[in-house]
Amino acid sequence: MRIPFQRLIPLVCLLGALAGPAHCQEPTPEPTPAPVPEVTTPAPETPPEPTPRRRPRRPAVVIEAGTVHPVAGPAIADGVVVIRGERIVGIGKRGEVEVPENAVVRSFPTGHAYPGLVDAATDAFTDSALRGDAGLDAGDALADVLLRRHDREDELARAGITTAYVTLDTPALLRGQGAIVRPTGSGFVLWEGHERAGLGLRLTNGAAPGHALQRQQQFDAADALFEGLDEYRKTLTDHEEALTKYRKEFDEYLTWHRNKQPKEGDAAGAKPTTTAEPAPEPPKTDTAPRTEPGEGGRRRRGGPPRDGAAELLAALENLFAAAPQDPPKQDPKPAPADAAAPEQPADGTKKPDESKEGPKRPSYPKAPAQNPQKDVLLRVLDGELPLRVEAHRADELRAALRLQETRTIPVMVVERAHGADKVADQLALHGIPAVLTDVLPDSLPPVYEDFDPTTLPAQLQRAGVAFAIASGSGRRADVLRLMAATAIGGGLDADAALRAITLTPAEILGVAGDTGSLAVGKFGDVLVCDRPLFQSDCRVLLVLGKGRAEYEAN
Amino acid sequence: MRRSPSRSALVPVLLAAVAATGPLLRGQDVLLGAQRIVIADGTELDDGRVLLRQGKVAYVGAEIPAEARTRARRVDYGAATVVPGFVLATATLGQDQDLAERALPFTPDLRAAEAFDPWHEDLLALPQYGITAVGLSPASANVAGGLAALVKPGRERGALGPDLFVALSLIAPARTAERPPSSLMGVVDLLRSAFEAVRTGLATGPDAAVLREAMQTTRPVFVHADTFAELNAALDLARDFGLRLVLVGATEARKVLPRLVQQQAGLVLGSLSPEARLEQLTLPVALAEAGVAFGFGGSPARMRLSAALAVHHGLDRRTALQALTRGPADLLEQAAAIGSLRQGSAADFVVFRGDPLDLGSALVATWIDGELVHGEAPTTRGEAEPTAAAGVR
Repeated sequence: MRIPFQRLIPLVCLLGALAGPAHCQEPTPEPTPAPVPEVTTPAPETPPEPTPRRRPRRPAVVIEAGTVHPVAGPAIADGVVVIRGERIVGIGKRGEVEVPENAVVRSFPTGHAYPGLVDAATDAFTDSALRGDAGLDAGDALADVLLRRHDREDELARAGITTAYVTLDTPALLRGQGAIVRPTGSGFVLWEGHERAGLGLRLTNGAAPGHALQRQQQFDAADALFEGLDEYRKTLTDHEEALTKYRKEFDEYLTWHRNKQPKEGDAAGAKPTTTAEPAPEPPKTDTAPRTEPGEGGRRRRGGPPRDGAAELLAALENLFAAAPQDPPKQDPKPAPADAAAPEQPADGTKKPDESKEGPKRPSYPKAPAQNPQKDVLLRVLDGELPLRVEAHRADELRAALRLQETRTIPVMVVERAHGADKVADQLALHGIPAVLTDVLPDSLPPVYEDFDPTTLPAQLQRAGVAFAIASGSGRRADVLRLMAATAIGGGLDADAALRAITLTPAEILGVAGDTGSLAVGKFGDVLVCDRPLFQSDCRVLLVLGKGRAEYEAN
Repeated sequence: MRRSPSRSALVPVLLAAVAATGPLLRGQDVLLGAQRIVIADGTELDDGRVLLRQGKVAYVGAEIPAEARTRARRVDYGAATVVPGFVLATATLGQDQDLAERALPFTPDLRAAEAFDPWHEDLLALPQYGITAVGLSPASANVAGGLAALVKPGRERGALGPDLFVALSLIAPARTAERPPSSLMGVVDLLRSAFEAVRTGLATGPDAAVLREAMQTTRPVFVHADTFAELNAALDLARDFGLRLVLVGATEARKVLPRLVQQQAGLVLGSLSPEARLEQLTLPVALAEAGVAFGFGGSPARMRLSAALAVHHGLDRRTALQALTRGPADLLEQAAAIGSLRQGSAADFVVFRGDPLDLGSALVATWIDGELVHGEAPTTRGEAEPTAAAGVR
């Protein structure tokens, strides 16, 4: 095929501008036109290797306390906790634990050292507008809108809280994806990898007057959220398969056109043979269609892969195919009358059909309609995202249990759960933990007067239900330990009360490997008080988060 | 041969004997023991004893006669802490409708005792919170609601003693557009006019008699007031007419602290809440430092929580316990009878597993007038059984 000259110039310029070294090609010299000067960009100067900056190493921190309460084990009288960097490297009785040289020793002879508290539910770092937003849905991620400074001062670190799960108590059915944060002296930092740590679902009308039929409507609405997810998942899977098939067919298409033999008699301006490699796989960049639904809460609309090299080659092929054909040269010798059939080789094999055009260019599969809410719900069904269900009464809790069973939700947590004592055996059987935020006396509206929030933790303990005691609000952060103390007054063991604000919430949040107790390998999250934690006049002396002082009393 | 009586025949005989001895048991002295007994502010017994007789504290500690010790029924709570019963200085106990004459704003002579329902569930629930005495008060919906009465939980008890304080109100519920006055200045003018008429002798009748008692300081005046304007108005009335003033609620008391000290006014605080502002949570500390007499009030279920929150924010334990017991009793001018376990006081006390100001200390038992009304009574030293002998409710 002869390529017209006027089409070569822009092509060469395009090649020079877009193609990298792997695609750089030496143009075949034209006999007639003057050679086009190559446009090359000068290679940039290689910058000198920067000298690696050596960060000054933080000295180890040693906490000596009259009593150390590891939570995962018995209390240690006259104990020490050794922290190097961010993690605990030693814990035990003073004199039995190796203390590094040059360590910073903080001594509290009559003090009590505990793990940093873990608040399993708070609305800290959210402003009043967000807290009243009834328009939230599953695709909204709270991590994107948390504020260090807003209409309220939330000093969680000062209260001894070193890990917290931020959620909202809004009228919305789906309350967005909560985030795990690490409170600091100046606010908070998001816990990397746990920015989307749970999906909130409201399965209650709360204290608003209503009857069972109204509540049933709410249950049905919650169940309906999970309708059609299998079909949606299938459309995503089909799309992935179609993409795979497209890539394969496109490779075949490119390969065929590259290997296509030039026709006899074509001018020297035939397309030069290339030694280019096969079209590379579309790179898996952020601009590629996301394979993990729900990532970031939103999906980019589908489209052709944005890969420069493959795109360029495809464009070239299309161009060549669309180029007007030169009229065939007149053959001075007329064809013999009996030469209608093409000449066949003497060995009997057939020549290839020169009129065959090869495989058709495949069409890019159309992406399915995006549904961020369903993407998130699929993550819930896959066990990647816990479903945190707010349910108050026993019938609401039973509805939550039914939902978990019928939809096979791997990880579910019930919140508030005032009537949990009536379904405690079911909760224990299904391994569903509870997050209790109303433990103080007289903390429930009059409509819940039949519930005793102070004795519920003890009842759940006896039934074998895992539970956490949480503040529920940034304004109650300071009384988290008083809430646990109230539970002790209601019959809960003191050890279980301590666990309910440390290790158990860490387990519920999926971070128990890093925090929740004082153990070697875990973060250096330590709370030091001047007396036992559950005494009303207990004063916080020091709070360490990952070994750094986040609060220190004057 | 004589035939012995069958077992079934003995049962009614035994029951009758128990019934007959019930009054005797109730009349028997009780020797109360515990690891820690708080008699009153500043007076505690370690591993002490208190002798109770006919519903009152007869002897304390070493004063107990030996003979009485031997004859008394022993009630020993072992490692527990015994404190005087909590006194709720003012409450309506859910009877707001019956304790306010809404059609008339000024009814200082109406008596809350006449609307007292000893069977009301709110009253019967008080012992579980450690409350053994209440100033049943007219509601705050009237400018002058009437006379309060001292009541105790228990089905067989009615109002005790003479009427207590006269209840006035300057807060919003007393100001309504349905009847005059509808503004704070209208309320203040109404009260001033009434007191002035009594002073000049123009007013007569039972209304005037009550106001005269208030002006002669023979009857304290409890005034519901929250805002700075309301508190100031109440303090002005007290100053101008010589009233013995106790402010109820007093949310913005910090703003009038100097006047509270100067006029020696007392306070009954509302319930403290964990969500309250810091200045509210530290108000008890400020009052204690200024020497203002105060007691914790508000919701019965939250009295102990209020005290614990105050301790959490810096109030010392001794003052906090006093604000639950002796403090409100003083405000009611009933300290001789309630609020402590001194000799001659009512045998009203509460038993906790630990310090009552630590929320982790469970409430074990509540006794009123020497009788167990809630919780457990030990049968032997340090052991408690869920159901006790005569006197258990």
